[in-house]
Amino acid sequence: MKEKILETLSELRAYAVEKGYDIELVYHEEDSYLMRFANSAISLNTNEHIIRLDITANEDRKRASYNLITDLSHMDEMKHGIDIAAEMVKHAQPLSYSPTIPVYTETFIDESGFDASLAQISNEERLAYFNKVAGSLETEDLRLSGIFSNGANTYAITNTRSQHSLYMKTSDAQVSTVLAHTKLKWEVTAEQSAQNKTELDPLALNRELALLVHHYENDEAIQLPLGTYDIVMGSAALADFLTYFKYIAFDGGLMKRGFSFMREENIGQKVFSDKFTLVDDTNDLRTFPLKRDFNGMVRKPYTIYEKGVFKGFVWSQDDADEFGAKATGHSVPHYSLSMHGGDQDVATLEDLLKMPRDNDILYFPFLHYAGIVNPPKGIITGSSRFGALLLKKDGTVQVPYNYRLTISMFDLFGDKVQWMSKQTTAYNLSSSYGSRNPMATVVPNFMRINGLEISHSNSSY
Amino acid sequence: MQKQIKQLIDRIKSKGATYVDARWYPVEETNELVMINGNLKEASASRQSGLGVRVLYKGAWGFSASSDLNDLSAIFDKAFDNARIAAERVTFPVRLAEKDALQAKFESPCKINPFEVSLAEKVAFLQAMDTKMNQEGVFQRSGQLQFVRKQIVFVDSEGSEIEKTITEVFTELEVAGLDSNGMMHSRKFRPGRIAATRGWESIDSAYYTENAERIVSEMKQVIAADDCPKDDRSVILLPGIMFLQTHETIGHALELDRILGYELAFAGGSFVTLDDFGKLRYGSTKLTARANATEPNSPGSFGFDDDGVPAQDNLLIDKGLLVGAITGRQMVEEANAKARRPIFHGSSGANRATSFYRVPIERMTNINIDYGTDGTLEDIVAHTEKGIILDGDKSWSIGSNREQFHFGTEIGWLVEDGKITQVVKNSTYKGDTVKFWNSLSAVGDQSTWEMKWVNNCGKGQPNQIMQLGHGVPVCRFDNVRIGE
Repeated sequence: MKEKILETLSELRAYAVEKGYDIELVYHEEDSYLMRFANSAISLNTNEHIIRLDITANEDRKRASYNLITDLSHMDEMKHGIDIAAEMVKHAQPLSYSPTIPVYTETFIDESGFDASLAQISNEERLAYFNKVAGSLETEDLRLSGIFSNGANTYAITNTRSQHSLYMKTSDAQVSTVLAHTKLKWEVTAEQSAQNKTELDPLALNRELALLVHHYENDEAIQLPLGTYDIVMGSAALADFLTYFKYIAFDGGLMKRGFSFMREENIGQKVFSDKFTLVDDTNDLRTFPLKRDFNGMVRKPYTIYEKGVFKGFVWSQDDADEFGAKATGHSVPHYSLSMHGGDQDVATLEDLLKMPRDNDILYFPFLHYAGIVNPPKGIITGSSRFGALLLKKDGTVQVPYNYRLTISMFDLFGDKVQWMSKQTTAYNLSSSYGSRNPMATVVPNFMRINGLEISHSNSSY
Repeated sequence: MQKQIKQLIDRIKSKGATYVDARWYPVEETNELVMINGNLKEASASRQSGLGVRVLYKGAWGFSASSDLNDLSAIFDKAFDNARIAAERVTFPVRLAEKDALQAKFESPCKINPFEVSLAEKVAFLQAMDTKMNQEGVFQRSGQLQFVRKQIVFVDSEGSEIEKTITEVFTELEVAGLDSNGMMHSRKFRPGRIAATRGWESIDSAYYTENAERIVSEMKQVIAADDCPKDDRSVILLPGIMFLQTHETIGHALELDRILGYELAFAGGSFVTLDDFGKLRYGSTKLTARANATEPNSPGSFGFDDDGVPAQDNLLIDKGLLVGAITGRQMVEEANAKARRPIFHGSSGANRATSFYRVPIERMTNINIDYGTDGTLEDIVAHTEKGIILDGDKSWSIGSNREQFHFGTEIGWLVEDGKITQVVKNSTYKGDTVKFWNSLSAVGDQSTWEMKWVNNCGKGQPNQIMQLGHGVPVCRFDNVRIGE
């Protein structure tokens, strides 16, 4: 298949060269499978095989693009798409800057992140996985929801200025399982991300769900009094916060457009806790890394924050061209963010529950539907969901109804951080709006931040 | 093609499927232009075609889709196989509400096909708007044009054959400036439906020019303004934020699949229970909300949904009382059975998919609030002692069961003793859904009612975005926390 894809691109490139076009071609193929559960049944079992071709035509400072959902057998359709893009660019308006068109100096093929046995896992195996997760936890009132999404993702890229191509193929799986009480409306979750089939461990999810269910069924449910709490974030919440952090804390283009709370003068300054180190780590296969960006730049691990010191913005090629900066290899659909762990040996929720407590600890496992309230101030708001707990100083546990945090990123990653787990987890953040784009962020399993304010507290689940 | 699809539907039926449908997209094309600070950053077009097949077997759904139409049979077989496996884990076998088998066509109203308008004319429009917004104090200006045209052929095993051609035009202008602390503030113009049609003719240059000037003026006022106070006040929501309030705390809360727990793994549930229909006082008696897919000029109007059910106008909330939900064929049967009473009488025609490669799910149509009798915006302001007028969605965050919310808006105008006193920046408000809607104290008249649209509503797994509408008047709510 790889050969056929590269041959097709080569033929399309030859066609464009012959016509005198200045064309970039990005081929994307997804083979997606998703089994969805709701109310303890398979509510949907689906698969999609989609091939997309993005064609960008350049002419001096003008640029236009045409996107096709197509098939490799439709050579005429793809060539026609090239003609359309080439015609469109004639009528486009010149940019105020010169966009860089890459020249690939070597053919680069990377399939190190592809595991066929994960990409092609069968319907029967997905169902067996769910059955193991559920174990004996389901009841008439306690129903299983979730997804098992897996598939393969292929990019192949070339242009008329290059004799060479890029080809990158990865496999991925995202599993989320939810046990929800149909009458009381509480819900707990356990999730898993995998790049390789051996990483799938349904029994680990079963243990996690069983522990949460135990507390939700047996401990007192409360409406949290508004006020200040010492909070332990779980890996899902941390990864989700980092998703928003990515936009407003180190993106060079967004900084130039006024959407960032970091400024150029902050480079080299210590702005967060010395416990905070964040790297775009393309060596970590758990993040489904792309080792070349779409402009052909080699993507090596890139440190963004080191012990709280801001090391620099990331720049896509287009933003770098527009604002006169140097591109950093970030013209990619997703980064490979990895937040380093700390020195606390807290691998699991069970470990957290066993820790001696010097204060009441509010466990915030999951961030639901966050919004950036004020980008230049780094303020974000979102609600708790899926298994929040209040770990009382006296050793007891209460179950808080969902609550809202409206906080500054400086509080989240700043001097209020008390500790982080040694252990890290790859939390899967993939979405499938549009094309498949597997994405995971590596974060400490837990992180404690003292003195955060709860801005809203629900009176029921 | 249709003949072949029908033959394949019959073949899958003969293997034991109780229901089969296919959505063939002969073509869906888009065209998008984005101009930022005078740079045409995006001039893109797309074209796609493909087939999605849904099979119901022993009470379970299987779905398969592909852009490769060389082997249609394989797509049908895969969908059947997916359903066969799904049938091994069924707790409530899927049943579909009755519907009529229809042979029908729908074409959304369009006088000028935007795909026949030249790129040069579209770019010229954006350049004219960019020039208008290019004023001192404007740090960033952007204009967007998005056009969609799709043909959908729906065929099912119950004898329906429906062809749809839908054209949409989405536009937006936005300006941003920096305040004295270097903080960025923006103001945007996303026009309501200003014409009876949805083609290029709906772009009225004079109207856009007028509003381009307005948003620049208002943005300049915001960057010079004080912060919104932390206070409890009456909030007067203009349509530019009222649509989102309606979307998030009525629309999503009343999707029947959410109520029945089908979105608990992702989008969330709803605080509404089946027992609440006919009983829950959702809002004050001034609140009447409806799902009206028959508005001619909105993306929430599509002729027939992807179950093949005709568009309808149904009450959701009648003078404050919860009476209806957003439904497709599957969910009404399950809801009635679980409630042990006939709450819903057939599908409300709201099952839609974003593309051929996604399965239909309950989606909002046009979730509208009826206009009221409390006069114009000026009348409502004049009768407000201590309030704030809010407009423009800036940030939004909602609880997983839609029980509470926090919204940030682009601009606020404080109201004291019936008069507007000053503009404020960083305006926010929050509340609990039912308490908030029960505090509805004034609903503007027809002059305040605007048909807004949403083109990026996200839901479902695999994820889908959807286009829909909200016709909303100016509304006032009392005793609301602002400024947090």
